[in-house]
Parts: sequence; structure tokens; C-alpha cells
Amino acid sequence: MSFGDFLYNNLAQFWSLTGFANAQFGNFVMLAVGLFFIWLAIKKNFEPMLLVPIGFGILIGNIPFNASAGLEIGIYEEGSVLNILYNGVAAGWYPPLIFLGIGAMTDFSALIANPKLMLIGAAAQFGIFGAYMVALAIGFSPDQAGAIAIIGGADGPTAIFLSSKLAPNLMGAIAVSAYSYMALVPVIQPPLMRLFTTKKERLIKMKPARAVSQNEKIIFPIVGMLLTCFVVPSGIPLLGMLFFGNLLRECGVTSRLAKTASNALTDIVTILLGMTVGASTQASQFLTPQTIFIFFLGFMAFVIASSSGVLFVKLFNLILPKDKKINPLIGNAGVSAVPMSARISNNLGLEYDPSNYLLMHAMGPNVAGVIGSAVAAGVLLGFLA
Amino acid sequence: MKKIISTVAIALLMLCASVLPASAQSRSALRLNEVMVVNDNSLVDEYGRRSAWIELFNANFAPLEISSVYLTDDKANPRKYPVPLGDVNTKIPKRQHVVFFADGEPNRGTFHTSFELKPGQDNWIGIYDADGKTLIDEVVIPASLLPDQSYARTEDGAGEWKVRTGGDNDYITPSSANVIKDTNYKIENFAELDGNGFGMTIMAMCIVFSALLLLCLCFYGIGKIGGAISKMNKIRAHSTPAGAPDRAEVKHDSGEEIAAIVMALHEHLNAHDSENTVLTINKVKRAYSPWSSKIYGLREVPQHTPARK
Repeated sequence: MSFGDFLYNNLAQFWSLTGFANAQFGNFVMLAVGLFFIWLAIKKNFEPMLLVPIGFGILIGNIPFNASAGLEIGIYEEGSVLNILYNGVAAGWYPPLIFLGIGAMTDFSALIANPKLMLIGAAAQFGIFGAYMVALAIGFSPDQAGAIAIIGGADGPTAIFLSSKLAPNLMGAIAVSAYSYMALVPVIQPPLMRLFTTKKERLIKMKPARAVSQNEKIIFPIVGMLLTCFVVPSGIPLLGMLFFGNLLRECGVTSRLAKTASNALTDIVTILLGMTVGASTQASQFLTPQTIFIFFLGFMAFVIASSSGVLFVKLFNLILPKDKKINPLIGNAGVSAVPMSARISNNLGLEYDPSNYLLMHAMGPNVAGVIGSAVAAGVLLGFLA
Repeated sequence: MKKIISTVAIALLMLCASVLPASAQSRSALRLNEVMVVNDNSLVDEYGRRSAWIELFNANFAPLEISSVYLTDDKANPRKYPVPLGDVNTKIPKRQHVVFFADGEPNRGTFHTSFELKPGQDNWIGIYDADGKTLIDEVVIPASLLPDQSYARTEDGAGEWKVRTGGDNDYITPSSANVIKDTNYKIENFAELDGNGFGMTIMAMCIVFSALLLLCLCFYGIGKIGGAISKMNKIRAHSTPAGAPDRAEVKHDSGEEIAAIVMALHEHLNAHDSENTVLTINKVKRAYSPWSSKIYGLREVPQHTPARK
């Protein structure tokens, strides 16, 4: 072999390993999707904390390479760095850590002050099971339908947790769908809220919530965890961590732990979760007809969840005394897109009455939605896993 | 009082310490799962020989190390065959099996016991924990068991013991599951009996509502009790000396009222005095994110703090 042949052979082999030699149309489509997510996050300020890691993860996951070369670089290749980081998603231990942070960040006072608002959080979970029925009708199997339907809980970590258990092959599409619709909550919910309420109902003023004592705030996570986990033990990973984080926040003697859980830990896990979920959307896995159905079902789930929350409040008002009526505009907050959906309630309330601040009241069903969606995920896991 | 609390805490810790090691090992989940006494045409060992075999099953959902547990066929001698230390194969993966050959040849390897099973008579087999006293599981293999038949549990690690003949629906399954499952029965059931998802919806929504209703009722109760206690404490704190009339009514401090008063004062005086604390109401503007945005507390109830002299 001449020196020239030697150089040619090596360069030819190197070329076969490059992204240019292995690129397929699907890769470019997904790269465009990743760039679009990054553009949305940076230019439009849409969920930047999530869309930047997910968008960049999509870029990382869709760089074409020669998988048969055994370089251990792909996210689905055992032992690769990305695969090790992805383990937190595949084995489902990132979502409970995120829930720990959510618990440490969330103030449950509004819910404790007015416990009946919890029922709105329960009613909104109908979105999950409504979408489950539609998914079955489309032809998904019960476990796949359950994993897709959880998008209606409007809770990314819960969706990832459940789909990693019930339908790991659909997890990328489910996660991206869940986060996309969470970003679109301000677009999806207001028309539904207007559709299902009358002008008179939108003007209902609710009494200010009572002050909540420190003791009640401490008791809430303990009793909440015990009660919900006794009913749905399969929700322990999510509910246990959620309430544990909240106890760290409220007990008053673990402020360092609460600060770490709500800041550093949540940020680290969010980076890893977002990036690896994005990287898991490899074109060969993601660009399938199923993904289109998943996005459609996710939209259905959000619509049903938001509508059922509003309609439940209207129904609930029929049995409530005149001075304790609930403004149905807070019904949409039963989905657990915290606190975006509560802000939408507030903004819409102010649109019709500039003195009607609904934010505090809407936060009740909003955090109840977090608990409700975790319970619903536990139920689905218990029935279908 | 502090002494009592610390004594109780130490006692609880000691109780935990005494209980935890036993449960952490979880050897109690080791099960005798299937046994063959006369092996003419079944499993062959690594020496190419056929002999009686005993299958153990790890019913845990975590790996189980079984070295130093005892296998025996003699109640009077519970330490008859100790499973040797130092063999990586004695760590049974979760919900998996391991087979011991009861050939009386322990020198042939870890999985060859020092005793043999006797055809034509009842064979008692027991597993003892490492202390040689705690019986983990036992079974009596009936004398009526024919050659190449096994005596097995109907389900792995659970259920009744039954004779298996090796027929089509009566598999002999050394080192594998006693029930061969090719589908998830739960999902099959839902697909078959609840094709439209109506049943799932009713059940699941009932459970979700029950869980949150329970929490709701509980916190109504806790709120009432808490309110009553704080009312009592306030009355006690504001009570006048003996003989003087008590205050008729005690009200909660309302955050809104305090804010309104402070803002009115600010508006009226248009200046602050020389106090260090200044109420500032600013619009908080930050990029939205579900993770970071929850740092906005729902409410900050201003607290009265007595001025230091």
C-alpha cells in the first residue's frame, strides 16, 4: 500500500464516521425543531428554562453518526455519557427530584385556607381520563393510552415519570408534547374559559382567604403525604418527594435544605432532564405517525382538563351558599401548570373587573392540581404497570 | 421533659436498629419454589449428570445474597448444607431463580448440596437463615411423586404446591418462572373488558376525588381546631389581670388591613419617618418558568414585632 492509499483510506474511513456521511432527512427535520424551540425560548421568552435545554438536547440527539461504529456516543448506547445521564429519565428518578424542588418552592396556604378548592384540582384530572378514552378509540393499547393521557395533568415531570414506566418508547414525544402545551396554556385556556362562563359568573368576587398558621403549614405535608399515599401507594415517589420538599420549606428549621432543594438541586435536575429528554427525540424514534397522534391527544387532554375544571366550579356553585360562590374563572387552574394557569385566571378576572384579583384563590386549585395529577399518575401506574 | 423525650428517641432508634438489619437483608423472601426427586430426563448439571434438584426463588424486588443460608433435609440438623461464601452466583437477581442439585456431592461446587433426596418417601426440605435457627421456608415433598415429575408452587414464591407432570399445561420449569407469562394480564383485561376506557375513568376519578376529598375534610378539621387553639391563645395573651373584664372580641390580624393602613399613612404623609423598615410595593418582573416562578410566595402576612428599646 502506498502512502497515498494509506492517506486516502484513512480519510475515507473518517468521512464515513462524520455527520455529513450519515445524515438523513429526519435528522434535519429534528434539528430544525430543536432550533425552533431555542428560538421560541430566547426570542419569545416561552419557557426558556425548559425549552433551551430541550431544544439543545434535540440538537445533540440528532447529530447523525455511524451507530454501527460502536463509539458509545448515542443516548441509546449503553455506557455512553448521554446514556448514563438519560438513566435518570429512563429509570424515572429525575421527576421525583423535581417534585422535591416543587414542594420546596410551593406555598400551599391558599389550599389550606380553603380546602374545598382541592376538589377543583381533582375535577381537572378528568382531562387525563378523557384523553385516555380518546387514545383507546384511536387504537393505542391501554398502557400507551395511560402514558399519553397523563399529558392532561399539565405536569412535565409526572408525564415523564409515568411514560418511562408504561411506554418508554413514547416518552420523548410525550415529554415534548407536555412541555409544548404547558407553554401554550395562555393560548389554549382563555377561549375555553370565556366559552363556558357567563359575564355574571366572571364577576363573582370571592372572600379573601383566612390567614394560615405555621402549625397548619407544617401539618399539611405530613398529613397530605400519609393520606394520599395510603390511598395510592404507587404515587409514593412523586407525592412523597413533593410533600417532603414542602415540609423542608415550612418546618422552619431546614431552610438550608429547602433552599438547596428549590434552587441548586432543581436547577441541576432541570438541566439534565431537559437536555436528555431533548436528546432522546432521535429522528428515527420521534418522527412517526404516533407522534402526531400524541400531540393531538395532548391538545385534547389540555382542552378537556381546562373545561372540566371550569364546568366543575359551575356545578359546585349550585350547592354553595350565595356568599361563598367560587368564580369559575379559577376552574382552569385545576391543571397543574403552576402558576401559569393561576395567572391566566387572574388576568381574565381583571379584564372583566379591574378590582377582582383572583390569583390567591386560583393558586388553591393550581397546587391541588399538582397533587391530583400525581395521584392520577399513581392510579394509572397501579392499574396498568 | 427533655430527658423523657430524649429517652423515648433513643429507645425508638434502638428499636429501629434491632429491626432494620433483619428486614434489610430480606432473606425472609427466599422461597423453595420447585423440587424434583427422581431426575431421569430433566435438568443436567455442569458435569453432565442428572440428580434431584431444588429450585429457590427470590421473591424480593431487589437482588438477594443467599451465601451462608442453610439448606437441609433434616429438621434435627438445620445447618446441614451451608451455601458457600465468595461465589458471585449466590446473589440472586430480583424475582429470579437458582437451582441446587441434591446429589450429596458438595465438592462439585456451590450448587451441589451435601444431602440427597430419597425416592419413595416423604422428603422434608427446609431453608434456615444464617443463624441456623430461623426457618425461612419449608416443604414436604410427597412420597407419591413419580420420576420426572416435579412438586412446584402454582406461582413463583407464592400459591399452593402441586405435582407437575411435564404435560402441555403442566410444565416443569427448573431455573425459570413457574407460570409462563407472554402478556401483561392487567393490560389484557383492560383491553378486553374496558375497551372504551369508561371503567378506568370512573374508577380513577373516584380514587382521585376520594384522595383529595379526604385531604379536604382533614384540613377543614385541622383548620377548625387550629382556629380554636389560636383564639384561645390570643384570649390568654390579651387577658387582663384577675378581676378586670376580658376583652369582648379578639380578631385576627388582617394582612390586607395592615397594608391598607400603611399605604394610607404613606399617601397622607407622603414621606417616611426615620424607621428602618419601609414597605415597598414593586411590580416583580421576571422571565416565567414553572420552576423558578414558584418562588413568589402567595402571601406575606405582615407580623407585628415589638419595637426594641
